[in-house]
Parts: sequence; C-alpha cells; structure tokens
Amino acid sequence: MSLPKLTRLPSVRLLSSIQHHQLLLSSIAPPAAPRRAVSQGEYRRPGQPKEDKFPGQPINFGFSKGFQGIKKHFTLLKKEFSDRWVGPQGKPLLEHMLEQNRVIWEFRGPESLDQWTVSSDREIGGQSEAYLKLGKNMNTCFLSGTLSSTPPRDGETRYSGYCTMRSKQSRVSFDRKKHNDLSSFNTLHLRVRGDGRPWMINIATETYFSHQKDDIYNYFLYTRGGPYWQDVKIPFSKFFLTNRGRIQDDQHPLWLDKVNTIGFTLGDKADGPFQLEIDFVAVCKDYAHTEEFAYEVYKRNPEI
Amino acid sequence: MKCARCLLQLQCLRLVGQSARSVAQYGALLQSVSSSQPNTLRSTPLQALRGFHGSPGHAKGRPVPAEFIDEDDKKRDKSLVAHDDLFERVAKEVKTKATFNKVVDVFIKRDVRRRGHVEFIYAALKKMPEFGVERDLVVYNRLLDVFPKEVFVPRNYIQRMFNHYPRQQECGVQLLEQMENYGIMPNMETKVLLVQIFGEKGHPMRKYQRIMYWFPKFKHVNPFPVPQQLPEDPVDLARFSLTRIANDRDAKVTVHQLPCTDVTESGEQITQPHIVGIQSPSQVELLAKHNPSRPVFVEGPFPLWLRKKCVYYYVLRADPTPPDEKVEEPFDPERCLDYPLQLELDLDRDLGDEESFDVEDVDEGPVLAMCMTSRGEQAILNQWISGLQENNPILGRVPTLFRLDAGPRELQGAADTESAHHHGPEPETQKEERQPQEEPEVKVEEEPRTSQRMKR
Repeated sequence: MSLPKLTRLPSVRLLSSIQHHQLLLSSIAPPAAPRRAVSQGEYRRPGQPKEDKFPGQPINFGFSKGFQGIKKHFTLLKKEFSDRWVGPQGKPLLEHMLEQNRVIWEFRGPESLDQWTVSSDREIGGQSEAYLKLGKNMNTCFLSGTLSSTPPRDGETRYSGYCTMRSKQSRVSFDRKKHNDLSSFNTLHLRVRGDGRPWMINIATETYFSHQKDDIYNYFLYTRGGPYWQDVKIPFSKFFLTNRGRIQDDQHPLWLDKVNTIGFTLGDKADGPFQLEIDFVAVCKDYAHTEEFAYEVYKRNPEI
Repeated sequence: MKCARCLLQLQCLRLVGQSARSVAQYGALLQSVSSSQPNTLRSTPLQALRGFHGSPGHAKGRPVPAEFIDEDDKKRDKSLVAHDDLFERVAKEVKTKATFNKVVDVFIKRDVRRRGHVEFIYAALKKMPEFGVERDLVVYNRLLDVFPKEVFVPRNYIQRMFNHYPRQQECGVQLLEQMENYGIMPNMETKVLLVQIFGEKGHPMRKYQRIMYWFPKFKHVNPFPVPQQLPEDPVDLARFSLTRIANDRDAKVTVHQLPCTDVTESGEQITQPHIVGIQSPSQVELLAKHNPSRPVFVEGPFPLWLRKKCVYYYVLRADPTPPDEKVEEPFDPERCLDYPLQLELDLDRDLGDEESFDVEDVDEGPVLAMCMTSRGEQAILNQWISGLQENNPILGRVPTLFRLDAGPRELQGAADTESAHHHGPEPETQKEERQPQEEPEVKVEEEPRTSQRMKR
C-alpha cells in the first residue's frame, strides 16, 4: 500500500525553493540560506521572529474545561459504540449497501457554517478579504469578499491573492481524525452559483508520511455566472495531485476512503469583489463514468 | 606528494599566465575605449572570454568598456537599480514593444560578456507588464536570448549532479514561470534556446517539459470559455454576457436603446446609456402566467466576471409562489408529437437504483428577464420594463418594485473612473422621488438600508 506513495517525493523541490529566495536583491544582500522545502510547523511570515513560548504556558488546566472535555469525548465515544449496533457508519446495512448518493454538506442554519473555515491571504500579509454567511433564504452558503493580488511587502513573497473556504477536519472521540469514506462513489456533485470566476476544488486526503501533509488534489470549478443555479459534476478521477500549489510529476489517484477535507479556492488574479453561493456538496455514483485516473501514471520518456 | 606539488606549480603558472593575458586584454580594452572603437570588442575570440566567467574576483577592478551606447552611463554600478534605470531612461516617453526590444538590444550590445544578465532579466520580467508585452512569446524568447550560450551547459556528470550555475538556472525557471502565469505556451524556439543555454537536462528544460505536458491537458477544460479579447463595444459586450448567463439557446437579445449623446438647446450634453435585455420564450410564458396581484421585482446590480472585467446585470424576478397557489399543470400530450414529454415506463429498477438527491431545491422566485445597462438608475430600468411590455402585456397590470443595491455600483465607480460621471445622483436620492411614470402601477419601494445590506 505504501509503495506507490514512496515514489511521491516532491521532485520539484527546486521550483518551490526558488519561491523563498530573495529576488532581485541577490547582488546587494547576501543570499539567504536555502530553506527546506518541507518545513515543520505553521507558516511563519518572513522577517517575523520565532515565538519563544514556554510549552506549558497557554494550556488551560481549569476544572470546568476538563469536565466539559470529558463529557464531550465520552458522548462521542458512546455514539460511536451505539452506531456500531445500527450498522456501518451509523446507518442500517441495507441503506449502506444500496446508497447511490450522499449529501455530505448542506447548509440549513447558522450552525452548519461552523463546519467550515474561511481564510484569505491576510495570513501571509495580503489584502484580500473573505466572509462566509448564510444566503438570502437561509439555506445556502454565501461566500463573498474582495480579492486583491497585491503581494505583501516583505521582500520574499512574490505572489498573493487568494481566498479559500475549507471544511474542518471531522473528529471522533479523543480527537481522533475521522475520514470520510467515499469509496463507493465516483463523482463529486455540487450545486453552486458563482459570478463567472474560476474556482478550484481542493480535496485533502490522509497521507502516509508527514512530508506529504501538504498534498492536495485539485480540479477546476468554472462558474457560469448569472441568476441560475449550476449543477456541477466532477469525477474524482480528474483530480490531480499538487503540493503547495505545484503540480506534481508523479500523479496518483485520490484515496477515496480517506478523504479529510474539501475546499474551494479562488485565485484568478482579477482584483475585485467575488461571490460564490453553494447549495450543497454531495457525492454520487455515475455509472457512465468508468475512468480510474485521467492522467498518466506510467513512467514517461522523457521523464518530466 | 611530489605529483601534487607539480600540479600546484603548474596551476600557479597557468594562473600567472592567465592574469598576464587578462592584463594585456585590459590594456587592449582600455585602448579601445579611449579610441572609442567598439568593433575590437566584438571581435575578441569567444574562447578567450571563457576564462573570465569562473572568476568574479577579476571583475572587480575591471574597467567598464561599454560606454558607447550611453555617454552618461559612466557611473554604472553592478546593482539592479542600473537595469531598472535603463528601462526608465530608454523608454522615457512611450512604453511599447519596440522600446522594450530596444532596451534588450542596448543591453546585448553593451557588453560582450553580458555581465549582469541575470539581474537584467529579472528587471525585464518585472517591467514587462508596464510595456504591455507580458503576453508576447517573441519577447520572452528574446529575453532568453540574453543568456550567453553554452556557458552554463554542464560538461560532465559531476557538474550535472551539483546543480551547475544555480542562479542562472533559477533565473531561467523564473522566466518560464512568468510565461506559465500568463498562460503562454512556449514554442520550439524556446526549447532550442534552453538546450543551448542550460543543456538538455537542466532545471529550466524540466520546467519547459512540465509546461508542455500540462498546458495542452487543461487548454480546453473550461466549459464556458471567455475569449481573450472581449468586445470593446458595450452593446456587444452586454450581448455576449447576457447570452452567457441566460443559458438558453432560444433566448432572444433585444437592444432596447443604443448609447447616444444628445445636445440640448441649453448646450448640455445628455448621454443616453445602452439598455440590452434578454428574455427566453419560457420566461415569457412564465411571466404570462404570473398572478397580476403579486408584484415583480427589478433587482440588481449583480456582478459578472469575464476574465478581468466585471460587468453588472439586473434581473426581473418574482417572489416564489406560495404553496397554496401552486398548480400542477398536466402535460399536454399533443404539444409535441415527435418527442414524448412524459414517459411512464416500468424499467424494472432495483431497490438501489435510486439516483435522485434528497435535497430540496432552493425555492427562489423565477427569473423573468435580465438586462444590462451602463447606468443602473430607476428611470433607465423603467425604460427597460416599458420595452418589455411589447412582448409581455401583463407587465402593464403587474406592479413593479425596484430593489436596487447601492454597494456594487460604488465599487464600479471606483474601478472605472471614466464612467463615474455617468452615475449622477446617488440611488438613495433616486428612491425618494417618484419618477414621472409611464404606467401608474410602478411603485417605489422604500426599504430601510439594513435590509438592503442583507441582500447580496
């Protein structure tokens, strides 16, 4: 199982390491030490000092928090055990076996927005803004904001301008990750209404090695614009592998049994307001689609 | 041991010889500068120049020979500012492709060794959007041509292994990446140049291969393509975008008013904006069935992006029909005899063959028509509604309410300043006064600002 993953080392490390070089100033300033392409920990803005925090400092050891944690985790554990008695994944066996489509996310009320995180290039010093709220009739999700592709003035970052919305990692008791098992489906089905901008759908799966934690499967979502809803069906076989925004030479099919999150990213370099309305995110089984993977996985000559 | 010493001595001798040669050459260069004969420079053999590339230490005290282009270029230092400066000086008045090429020519002719070409290429890449050549493949190839040929090609496997001339390779990759970002596909000339400069297996060549592999795969992936050059005429642009968002081949575009400028007796110029509307036969049918006691709404402006351009459209829509008024209309089997509109076949489907989703549709009111105009005032939209009455006589009896947002229009005014003077009064003031109405049914809806904000 892990053999094909072994060959998935980032072969374009050179390209991604260039991104961090001090551009154009190399003749004036001494070149910065080459940074490792696979960095540990969170993103840290260039020029910001490392936070020297005492490890135990921010942890809250309060009694009420501990009690709430115990209550939450044991409720989850109880649900986990009782779901087993009903059937796989808490559904009766017949329903599980005959399931042809499944709505993973729909938006029915403010609490459904808690399953999503919105971020923009504010984190790296950019000026884009993104907001998530419910739609006009309170049962859609309305993502809007302003895109600005002005790069931050830190001397290193060259590109900027993205807004993204990503589902949170679902967890079961004691903060274990829960993967979505979508292996009985082959198509992603969305109902969206955009404003003509192209978006990108990102699916993050569970990875085997920690250096693959930025591996994300992507495909494009083109919106038509206008007042009508748009049904989009994207087969999972079309998704291609990228790492930190760089498309990889070694392509592998998506692991559908270990899907962690799904996200929508905008970064089309057109400065201005944007909006995307999502009705639901679902998966379905398309019998007409038999393709396993849309890109070459065999060894090519010349190897790229 | 002895052997090594011999080698060292030999190397020292060679170094001395080389420096002697270089000194001689400097003398020659100095002479050539003083006699201002650039031809001697160009005629120096290439092999003799090779030795200079590996030793940047020599270059420090080197006199600058290339002063024949610009006489005021005496104090050229090695920093990047010089190249930015070069672009600014050569293209002082107009920034076009010709002047960009001229700058590249000036740089190529300035120094045979192309000293500082990496910095020059970085500066040129940065300046390309200013000159409007960022989508020009020929210019990219010319920039690649600035690299000296065959110098950075690794000659043995050890050099190939150890990332030969990394700065230059990064610069080449950077150039290709800018091409990639602007969506330009390299051609055979690029490939030949890359092979000549960096060899067959350098990183820029790999980047080239990746571009050539992935670009054709995603070339036609967009199901709603937008042309690279949008139509200049606003009416054509409106027609294009309306047919794009209508998503109906039968929909008919009507130009209700062409843009024109009139001069009144008092000498004032009155600019009439264009009004382009679209309505499909099914929308006409929906509107004909509309209950005349319920109002229809003109909503907008809603943004639509076509590549980097944002246009705004307005929608005529009705509220969703309340459930008690919904009538299930039976299909008229004789409406289409060739193609049965309703089929009731028992296909012997299994229990698991259910493919419909368990998500109720978002119940929004039906869209009855759409329009685009350059000035989204109520009077202008009134003209559109009265134009729609020709095909939809029911609009004369249905009250029409205007729910116009102010937000996006301010953005639009900030975005294109040349059309800012078109929007004269603010829409809020427009709402206050009653328009001189052609039809008495048209009402102005007074809504608090908060609810305006709630809408998109």
